[in-house]
Amino acid sequence: MGEVALECRGLRKSFGGVHAVDGLDLSFESGTVTALVGPNGAGKTTLFHLICGALRCDNGDVLYRGRRINGLPPWATARLGIGRLFQDVRVFGSLTVLENLLVGFPDQEGEAPLVALLGRGRVSRREADHKVKALQWLGLVGLADRSSALAGSLSFGQQKLLAIARLLAGGADVLLLDEPTAGVHPTLVDRLLTVIRRLAGEGRTVILIEHNTSVVLGVADWVYFLDEGQVASFGLPAEVLADPSVRAAFAGLGGRRQ
Amino acid sequence: MNYIWHILVMISIYAVLAASLNLVAGYTGLLSLCHAAFYGIGAYATTLLMMQMGLGFFPAMALAVPLTALLSLLIAIPSLRLRGDYFVLATLGFQIIVFSLLYNCVRLTRGPYGIPGIPIPSLFGVPVDTVFKYFLFSTTISTGALAILWLLIRSPFGRLLRAVRDDEVAAAALGKNVPAVKTMAFALGAGLAAIPGAMFAGYMRYIDPTSFTVGETIFILSAVVIGGAGSFWGPLVGSAFLVALPEALRLIQIPDAVAANLRQVTYGLLLVVLMRIRPRGIMGEYEFK
Repeated sequence: MGEVALECRGLRKSFGGVHAVDGLDLSFESGTVTALVGPNGAGKTTLFHLICGALRCDNGDVLYRGRRINGLPPWATARLGIGRLFQDVRVFGSLTVLENLLVGFPDQEGEAPLVALLGRGRVSRREADHKVKALQWLGLVGLADRSSALAGSLSFGQQKLLAIARLLAGGADVLLLDEPTAGVHPTLVDRLLTVIRRLAGEGRTVILIEHNTSVVLGVADWVYFLDEGQVASFGLPAEVLADPSVRAAFAGLGGRRQ
Repeated sequence: MNYIWHILVMISIYAVLAASLNLVAGYTGLLSLCHAAFYGIGAYATTLLMMQMGLGFFPAMALAVPLTALLSLLIAIPSLRLRGDYFVLATLGFQIIVFSLLYNCVRLTRGPYGIPGIPIPSLFGVPVDTVFKYFLFSTTISTGALAILWLLIRSPFGRLLRAVRDDEVAAAALGKNVPAVKTMAFALGAGLAAIPGAMFAGYMRYIDPTSFTVGETIFILSAVVIGGAGSFWGPLVGSAFLVALPEALRLIQIPDAVAANLRQVTYGLLLVVLMRIRPRGIMGEYEFK
């Protein structure tokens, strides 16, 4: 058992009368991949919003390495090391692939206008250093040859890989991946899963929302099955997915998704 | 010949105005409708510092820049939290407030009478007292201001601005403090607009509030949009084009009374046509959503 990186305690969030997240207790260990599965409206994406601070919880706590982080805005949780891949990807479309990664690096002095003007030598040395690292990350996700293309011109799957590389450049330690394989061409899915496994192997904590059972079985160490904002079951992927009620939920999804 | 130098002085003034608005509107994606207010604050601040405090042109301008940037925070801090259209309206409100302050604070600004007799700027003790000298003077200042903008745009700061423009949520998810970034861009754009304000006051040697109206804001914005928002050269081309256009119309022999109206019609038509055939402007990178 690894160290617990992220923990949710009694997390609640309601929208009007709807309890989107209704008392969730979850914990995620470093170096593991945890899949969150469940029908639409189970509260999976809302949970991500609560963890990264895009939404405030009504009740409960989010702990990152033992530190309470609820109430922090998204940029602050991101600086702590919580990275997020959005369902709709959100690359910077008018920036090049390389620039997308360069933005991702944390604590850039050159992002302060005065330093950008007065400390140009220092800034350009750091930039050169970042470029080398960025190209390595791009190599990892297989996009090194597209580094000068505009991000908006990439395919959806490539944009997902780019968004993941951008998170890695940012040094994210906990990765919240919202449907990383949805809408991605099958040839790219394998590359994506390899990357995800490798990240966990390096000690990062990967949490993914996924509807594809074979992806869950292939990549996840643990599975939480969420339903109506609560944990319906938790365990090893093969066990949880063998549960008839989980299978029923997936059968409904499978018909629509694939 | 003075006529040509005069046009070039005006182009050098508008080039910095449009380029500084481009930092805010083109690169950061904040459609601001109060740029003429900052231009006016810069002009009045420089003038008053010269005439009331006895400062020289450069010290006055050097103080007017941070002062204008600081005043821009009055509108930036409350309104940058607003989304899209509401931000645009808030800046329009600020533009109108600044105009009516310039118009009505008679004790400070002499209101509609304007301030005449602004001292001639001098450089190393040499007065800049002819149109040609002023052309050299203003081109040098605006080249300096544009160089600062160029360096900012090409730096990691400039890249961050474009990232925020493309997707604020994604930028925040990468640990970027988006409200702080926008505020900085806005204040920088405002501070840089004070420079052409000073150049204008020193050139005309008379200022009154009618030079800093909403109409003026629209004119500057047109230069940005026609030239191409989000490109460095776009606003320069746009301002050269818009300043020179009425002069070109002057060459066609039409009565003055007709020409003035025709100019307005031409601007309007030009904007409509250009937005139809080339929504990103002549050099453009970025299309307003």
